[in-house]
Amino acid sequence: MKVSITFDRLRWEEKALSDAAEAAGLEATLIDSKGLIFEIPKKNEELGDVVLQRCISHYRSSLLTLTLEGAGLKVINSYAVAETCSNKLATSIALANAGVPTPRTFLALTSEAAGEAAEKLGFPLVLKPFTGSWGRMVTVVRDRGTLQSLMEYKEELANPQEQHMYYLQEYVKRPPRDIRAIVAGDSIVACVHRIAPPGEWRTNVARGATSKAFKPDKELHEMILKAARAVGGGILGVDAMEPDSGYLVHEVNNTVEFKGAQSAVGTDIPAQLIKYVAQVARR
Amino acid sequence: MMVPNDAIVGEIISCKDCSSEYEVAEISNGNVLLKPAEQVGEDWGE
Repeated sequence: MKVSITFDRLRWEEKALSDAAEAAGLEATLIDSKGLIFEIPKKNEELGDVVLQRCISHYRSSLLTLTLEGAGLKVINSYAVAETCSNKLATSIALANAGVPTPRTFLALTSEAAGEAAEKLGFPLVLKPFTGSWGRMVTVVRDRGTLQSLMEYKEELANPQEQHMYYLQEYVKRPPRDIRAIVAGDSIVACVHRIAPPGEWRTNVARGATSKAFKPDKELHEMILKAARAVGGGILGVDAMEPDSGYLVHEVNNTVEFKGAQSAVGTDIPAQLIKYVAQVARR
Repeated sequence: MMVPNDAIVGEIISCKDCSSEYEVAEISNGNVLLKPAEQVGEDWGE
């Protein structure tokens, strides 16, 4: 069985996945997507039984997945899943429609409407970009004056989506940590607490958060898998919070990084992910 | 600049002194060719 692992920035994760695939007896090929060209329609000739999409650039990943699926290839994750996860609004809609508890969220299409949404949410609130990751540009807005200043800055951005439109979310009071679950199909491969570093409220490992093994209870276990199904399933990173009022899922990541989680758990995460990849290839 | 023995094409190497990032472009007869790595993009992430 042949597995292609496409990347645009080779990280520890991609090398670990390739090693795990070889150890599982699969023929694994690491492919730098930056050098690929395709004549449309692409023919499924050399990329094997399944492609594990690991590009770090959303748009590169999305267009490549679209092309590969157009050639009849199985891609993990699918184009539909990638599109849902890469847009925070689409993720929020998918979670809410599936009945997964998620923070109260507003879409506003102008700065004036954003002010109205902020009044409904109350301060503090969280302002997030629609796309992007690692906590980049995710901001706690503590009062109306700060919101006004941020909106003026946003109006200067080049990206029309981020320039004029707003994703506003309730600020959830929680311990200085969140929960990251790595899901493959119907299984939780690993689950950790991500503990924010001193002076930082965001819990992204990219921002210096540390990971500690954590076993979800039955309620959270089911909620995590429901969230993964809500976005279409695959290999995903489900992020949850634990305020006093009960668990909330706030994000689902399409190209999950797991170096931090691997440092905290005994499970061989890449081996488990590759096991799922092989299952998909056999379908 | 130190390049790990197990480095492969596509891997990112950071300069210990200035933190500049380079990508391994080619490995041939023990020689490693580096090129400047792509800068972090607005759409990068998980």
